[in-house]
Amino acid sequence: MISSLKVSSITYALKVDNLEKTYTQWRGEPTKAVDGVSFAMEEGEVVGFLGPNGAGKTTTIKCICGLVEPTAGKISIFGIDALKDTRKAVKNTSAVLEGNRNIYWRLTTRENLEFFAGLHGRSKKEVEPEIISLLERFDLVEKENAPARKLSRGMQQKLALGCALIRGTDFLLLDEPTLGLDVKTSKELRRFILKLAEEEGKTILLSSHDMNVVEEVCERVIIINKGKVLADDLVENLRNVFNVHLYEFIIKGKHRLQRIRDEHNVTDMRYVNGKTIMKVVLNDSNSFYELVDQLKEKNIELEKVKNLDTHMEEIFMNIIEENGVVK
Amino acid sequence: MKEHIIFYSIVKKHFIELRRYLLNTLMSMGGVFILFMLVFFGLRSFDAGAETLQGTIVGFAMWIFAAMAYSEMSWGLLQEARDGTLEQLYLTPSTFKRISAYRVIASFIFQFMLFAAFLVIMMVVTGEYLILNPGVVVLVGLTLLSIYGIGYIMGGLSLVFKKVQAGNQILQFMFILFLVLPSITSHNIIYFTPITWGNVLINRMLVGGMSLLDFSLLDYSILLLNSFAYLFTGILIFSYLERVAKQRGLLGHY
Repeated sequence: MISSLKVSSITYALKVDNLEKTYTQWRGEPTKAVDGVSFAMEEGEVVGFLGPNGAGKTTTIKCICGLVEPTAGKISIFGIDALKDTRKAVKNTSAVLEGNRNIYWRLTTRENLEFFAGLHGRSKKEVEPEIISLLERFDLVEKENAPARKLSRGMQQKLALGCALIRGTDFLLLDEPTLGLDVKTSKELRRFILKLAEEEGKTILLSSHDMNVVEEVCERVIIINKGKVLADDLVENLRNVFNVHLYEFIIKGKHRLQRIRDEHNVTDMRYVNGKTIMKVVLNDSNSFYELVDQLKEKNIELEKVKNLDTHMEEIFMNIIEENGVVK
Repeated sequence: MKEHIIFYSIVKKHFIELRRYLLNTLMSMGGVFILFMLVFFGLRSFDAGAETLQGTIVGFAMWIFAAMAYSEMSWGLLQEARDGTLEQLYLTPSTFKRISAYRVIASFIFQFMLFAAFLVIMMVVTGEYLILNPGVVVLVGLTLLSIYGIGYIMGGLSLVFKKVQAGNQILQFMFILFLVLPSITSHNIIYFTPITWGNVLINRMLVGGMSLLDFSLLDYSILLLNSFAYLFTGILIFSYLERVAKQRGLLGHY
């Protein structure tokens, strides 16, 4: 496992220690969904929780908020044992677990916000300025008195996040908050999540399939597969560890470049407007110059080379494919 | 922790939803009323005495009340699981059991208003007048505790097994049996089945003209023991099934 995070005696916003969850069924084999997961989050941190389907992300998140009983392990939220004193721990926790299904479709936007504030013991009077601010920030002012069922999916998702925020907790769990949203709304929501952390100091654990979300919003990422943590590090550090550099070569003319394709990790090759556009992953500068020399040898005219940054998606695929055995 | 704010939020939400779906509520009550008329005039055609007819009014109203109280616990929970909001109700500094109790109180307030309106309409339509005594609120409240206990059990079963509608239908017919049991048998079983003894006392009040002070300590003891035994058993079984649901990760599923 990759980890360069320092461990100290500070009180963490969240500390998960050797968490295990095995689902037993009346018929059939038991399934180990979470297998010794450990990680910690400092106050104000925004951490991405990545993993393929069935990796154990949602089970871990539900264990943290007391909705699933773990088989073994410890969870503490702001120093409170969440397994022994769930009520106290939940007091400082809110979550968006099923996106737009986490709200009451029969209630209006405002009624939903007031209800969820009340569910956390916050009176209408106390939260009124926050409701106004949330309606404005989420662009829901005109829909304040519209039933939630009549809102677009993006608006419902925003409202679900609003309902989690109106509880006034410092710790926020977001399970796939941008799932099913269009590009524009997803971007808006990402920007909002980022602001939450920067301006309000919220501690956020965010699980997503969307690497763009994690890359844009999170400083640190935890990659989980088959119930085990495979990597836990800053996004920047993971980039350095993998040192994977993606380049785009724009070459004049149409070329097959079979030898280059055989010898290098060419991920994409297209022909556009009489040009060959080739994307290739090069792990070091030697490989880069070798490829340029090969093109020169064949008298192929190189028009432009772009260095495309290593994306979270490539890092994620590398880690998952190596199944935890990291170079 | 401001528990009263949580309680107020639950009650307020309940009434908003009822108001928003008033037509649906009224239509379902209309259906129930037609059913009542069929039963009532059917009995009258067999020359049933005034006491039997008045007892039918009380029994029918109690059956409707019990069915509503019970469905709030079981069907209401299932609805939350299906809508995806059930897990959010667990994310509260209060407890889910308390949240459920608040929901029950909210629905009791509404159902009692309906119960009273229903009784008045039935009396006017049938011409059989009951002796209305405000003390009936106490008796109805205590009687329904046993139904809430059964509701907790079915609610817990809903969390684990999800599809328990068939069981709900069977129970609704069982409630009729529990209500008419004293007219079928004088066996001691009437002290042990839910809702039965409470219905006997309510009948004595509304048909026989007795007041709360006229009942003996034994009457109250049987009612209290019966109701609280069902309620606490229901809560215990619910707690167990809730834990099973948490162990199996079933809370958010439908």
